[in-house]
Amino acid sequence: MTSFLSARGVSKTFGNSASGVLALSNVSLDVREGEFVCLLGASGCGKSTLLNMFAGFIPPSVGELRLRGEPISGIDPRCGMVFQSYALFPWKTVRENVAFGPKMRGAGRRERRDIAERFIEMVGLSGFGDHYPTELSGGMQQRVTLARCLAADPEVLLMDEPFAALDAMTREILQEELGRIHMRSGKTVVFVTHNIDEALIMADRIVVMSPRPGRISAFIGNELPKPRNIDTQLLPSYARMKREVWSHIAGDMAAMRDNN
Amino acid sequence: MSTPAPGDLALPARESPTGSASGRRRWRLSGLGRPVLLLNLLGIFAFYAVWALATETGAVSPLFFPSPSMVAAEARSVAGTADLWMSVVASGRRVFLGFGLAALVAVPLGIVMGCWWPAKATIDPLISLLRPLPSITWIPLTMLWLGIGEGQKIAIVFMGSWIYILLYTVESTKRVDPLLIKAARNLGAGSFAVMREVVLPGSLPGILAGLKVSLAIAWSCVLSAEMVAAQTGLGALIWSAKDWSNMPLVLVGMICISATVLVADLIANWIEARLLPWERARRTH
Ligand SMILES: Nc1ncnc2c1ncn2[C@@H]1O[C@H](COP(=O)(O)OP(=O)(O)OP(=O)(O)O)[C@@H](O)[C@H]1O
Ligand SMILES: [Mg+2]
Repeated sequence: MTSFLSARGVSKTFGNSASGVLALSNVSLDVREGEFVCLLGASGCGKSTLLNMFAGFIPPSVGELRLRGEPISGIDPRCGMVFQSYALFPWKTVRENVAFGPKMRGAGRRERRDIAERFIEMVGLSGFGDHYPTELSGGMQQRVTLARCLAADPEVLLMDEPFAALDAMTREILQEELGRIHMRSGKTVVFVTHNIDEALIMADRIVVMSPRPGRISAFIGNELPKPRNIDTQLLPSYARMKREVWSHIAGDMAAMRDNN
Repeated sequence: MSTPAPGDLALPARESPTGSASGRRRWRLSGLGRPVLLLNLLGIFAFYAVWALATETGAVSPLFFPSPSMVAAEARSVAGTADLWMSVVASGRRVFLGFGLAALVAVPLGIVMGCWWPAKATIDPLISLLRPLPSITWIPLTMLWLGIGEGQKIAIVFMGSWIYILLYTVESTKRVDPLLIKAARNLGAGSFAVMREVVLPGSLPGILAGLKVSLAIAWSCVLSAEMVAAQTGLGALIWSAKDWSNMPLVLVGMICISATVLVADLIANWIEARLLPWERARRTH
């Protein structure tokens, strides 16, 4: 097992060390190449913070993060981010947003358009290519962010609750699509969620996080057979897995239970 | 200053499947539901009525303030001659050149200052020194360097407006969401691409707002320069009318200035709406 993406003894304090918030405390995580890891935990346990450090947006206070053995020292396009708050360019249409990655790597006008069209269709937004983000609903904007990240074709997908704003139907379709993309492309994925079913459907391995201070409280390998779909949820092994995950987060998630 | 371009209200939002119904309701409340235009006209009429009543009845001596009919008569007589139109063209040309030059210098400089702190740290103290100086304080120096020709008038307009354009531009670049810059770099953008694709469009609404404010300032600069030393232009027209004690002509000149700036503003709004299509989408939502 080679470590492709890793965090070693990482802590993060926001503000000064005396009165600041300890968002993450001594987190160590190794992600294999091609692995699909889900970070699962209650709100405020530092999931976004960890993802932002992998993307190079913020430096750790203590510890080190590495990609392919090299320290992550700044923003690296090899680690593509699907933002929790979408971060779409308001002055670009949906098509221009999705085509941004290809444009930056020098793809021609024609190629950009084709790529954009393909991913816009994949997230079910055909016909919305000429709309501006402010003309879309929250769930539609979230799908544009997903398409924009996939179109840039990064080696690692860092996804911060990418399906949180979607209705159950759309979410299921995109979960299956992402599962297919992952199997086909062999990309490494770090996927944040606070939905246990989503983690069980998507993950090779579930990393359970706890709040105050944010830390990793369990690693759970997910051996459910792939490809997974709604029927997977009917398997006896699924119920067993779900109970196991619950046992690790029962305390933390009590407050969250109504939200999911 | 900020009369919305007629196109703003008339153009409907592009249809989107969500949120358009409630969006349209809000739009109507702020735009067409209220009798804004009616009150606009009422205000103008009230002003005119007070002016006419005070002067035409003789309550205020026409020597102090000419009556509407005197101004109208004067306007009719000068509109027939080339003087008035030549004045508008002369002033307009100076503003166009001086302001255009100022924008060409100050907008790129402002973006660089907003993106790169050493530039800002170097130029900031200079701006603090120059900013308090009204444009007319540059008249002696510019006359020494450039005489009293066109170059000098253009220089006054330039000196009076470039700092405001610069300040607005720097301020607008600071308001660009840093998350969007991160997103662009995460998608592979380098420093120049970040400036072109994120900082420039992100600060464009603020820059354009700054340009509109500075354009009005540029007009006041050219008029004061023309009053001091010029044979042509609206400022010179007003100043010589004063020497002849022709107050109706002074008022015609003043009305001309207002009208010209209003027209310039309408054009600016029209350009703005074309440069910022996404803002229209946001506003009508
Ligand atoms: N920029 C910041 N400045 C100060 N505190 C921060 C900042 N970002 C995060 N925090 C704090 O760090 C902690 C972890 O935040 P983070 O956003 O990583 O949580 P999360 O697990 O992603 O939560 P959620 O599920 O709600 O998105 C929180 O207590 C938050 O208040
Ligand atoms: Mg988060």
